[in-house]
Amino acid sequence: MKTRTGIIRDFDSKTLGVKIGLMAVYAVCGLVVVVSLFPVFWVLMAGFKDLREYVSSTAILPETFNFSRYTGTWTQLNVVRNYINSFYAIAGSVVCSLFFNGLLAYGLAILKPRGYKTVGRLVMASLLIPATMSLVPLFINIQRLNMGGFFTPLWLAAGASAFTVILFRQFFESLPLSIIEAGRIDGCSQLQTFFKIVMPLSKPICVVVTIFTINGVWSDFLLPYLVLGHGRWQTVMVRLFIFSTQQTINYDDLMRAVVFSMIPPIVLFFVFQKKLTENIVTVGIKG
Amino acid sequence: MNRLRGSVKWKQQAVSWLIMLPGISLFAFFLWGPLLQGARMSLYRTRNIELVEFVGFDNYISVFRRHEFLQALGNTFTYTFWSLLIGFLIPIFLALLIGETVRGKGFIRTAAYVPNVLPGLAAVLLWSAFFSAERAGVVNILLGRLGMEPMAFLSEEHLVIPIIVVIATWKGAGATALIYMAGLAGINPQLYESATIDGAGIWKRIRHITLPAIFNLGSTLLILQIISIFQIMYEPLVLTKGGPDNASLSLMLLMWRYAFGGTMDYGRASAVAMIIAIILLGFTALYSVVNRRKIDWE
Repeated sequence: MKTRTGIIRDFDSKTLGVKIGLMAVYAVCGLVVVVSLFPVFWVLMAGFKDLREYVSSTAILPETFNFSRYTGTWTQLNVVRNYINSFYAIAGSVVCSLFFNGLLAYGLAILKPRGYKTVGRLVMASLLIPATMSLVPLFINIQRLNMGGFFTPLWLAAGASAFTVILFRQFFESLPLSIIEAGRIDGCSQLQTFFKIVMPLSKPICVVVTIFTINGVWSDFLLPYLVLGHGRWQTVMVRLFIFSTQQTINYDDLMRAVVFSMIPPIVLFFVFQKKLTENIVTVGIKG
Repeated sequence: MNRLRGSVKWKQQAVSWLIMLPGISLFAFFLWGPLLQGARMSLYRTRNIELVEFVGFDNYISVFRRHEFLQALGNTFTYTFWSLLIGFLIPIFLALLIGETVRGKGFIRTAAYVPNVLPGLAAVLLWSAFFSAERAGVVNILLGRLGMEPMAFLSEEHLVIPIIVVIATWKGAGATALIYMAGLAGINPQLYESATIDGAGIWKRIRHITLPAIFNLGSTLLILQIISIFQIMYEPLVLTKGGPDNASLSLMLLMWRYAFGGTMDYGRASAVAMIIAIILLGFTALYSVVNRRKIDWE
């Protein structure tokens, strides 16, 4: 039997009142589980319905589990292409995020050239500036430089994440300096030290940054919509956004499109679930 | 020798800056530059993406004269009010409750976190089906079971903001609760034991040990929540486009509308963005005053 670690201790749990209280706790937690998971379950089921059934039926479960409706929408909307585009967006963003944010954090945490504190402060301050604030001028700059229509601005934007720099910086500061200095003495240049010593030692934080970047890039649609627009490189989320704003729209198709957009993050979450929740607990941050 | 070491050091400094340069340029291009440009653009009359002429505070004045701006400003505070009422306390309750469970704790925690994993756009579209005005909208099905008439929730001016806040809370509460749980896990268990020996019951332990322990965390998350709800944009954009009759229009959405809603009014959009920035700056100042001991700008 496990021991209680909360406010109610094992020596409390004998009186009737506490027992009832604990049952109430479990009842509310059960409700929380239902409220959290039911919408996801519902949309999965709604995807099996055709338009007639979707509009008229008040049952949660579909009349038949007809997978061809999912595959029909999948091929009709050609979602594969958007999945591939999202994959491109993610791959480039992960590389940029690790490389640019990592190098900047390396400078701030280990190299510390004269005046580095100013840069550190500016990076911290950008954490408090909402990213959407710079949306309009950023969009105009991208237009001026004629960079719209392809992933380049999205990839590079991933390399300017204050949050990632701070995560890297905290981790780098905890690395043992002696190893880094040993590398220096063995003749590593500053750049070599980063690639051959610092990064290999930082695999845990790289994994976390990668997961956050994948999730963030997959879900983002405002800047991608402005950059990629109606062109051929639309990601899944941009497609879903445009699809949802159309006047004539089949709601059953829309629900299936919602399901397609949810699958990769949910799979990713369950693969890395432990790593993610643990990290949120230790780093104390919001995903 | 000394001079040699000096030049080596100088070289090292230069190389260090070179290493940081790519990252710094990206920050300048994507964050710092646009912010300054936005401030400048708010003082100009714009045509397309060109700055036409300097007009001082004209954009601000014309924005303030517009009915929709005042409504968006009011709405944004209404969002904040509801988000504090609903969104702030639920994660704390959630963390306390999950902390009391033994069996199934991991499962409950994971389940509560799942909504946070979904892409925001997908979550909003999902909930729009729930609150759909049709009879087959899920909430209307529930109302029907209770013998009530179906409602067009998102067309009700007084309901639309609370509903959007509920959706945002549904998505974020599990993740915020996780942060509180980390705070609760840091409480020394011996505190509870010795309090019990001193005769403190369960409620007294909550009041005198648990809540004080997460007070600081709570005040930090409170201000962060205000800052984030103040920028609410894509939820009303997708769900209601700001309607009905601008009842769910937020400041950020108004900025989006001016800039990307067809009129390409970038000057006014920048003015709205600057007004939001100034209000948020006020909140941030408040935050650093409250947390003066703790804030560390390094």
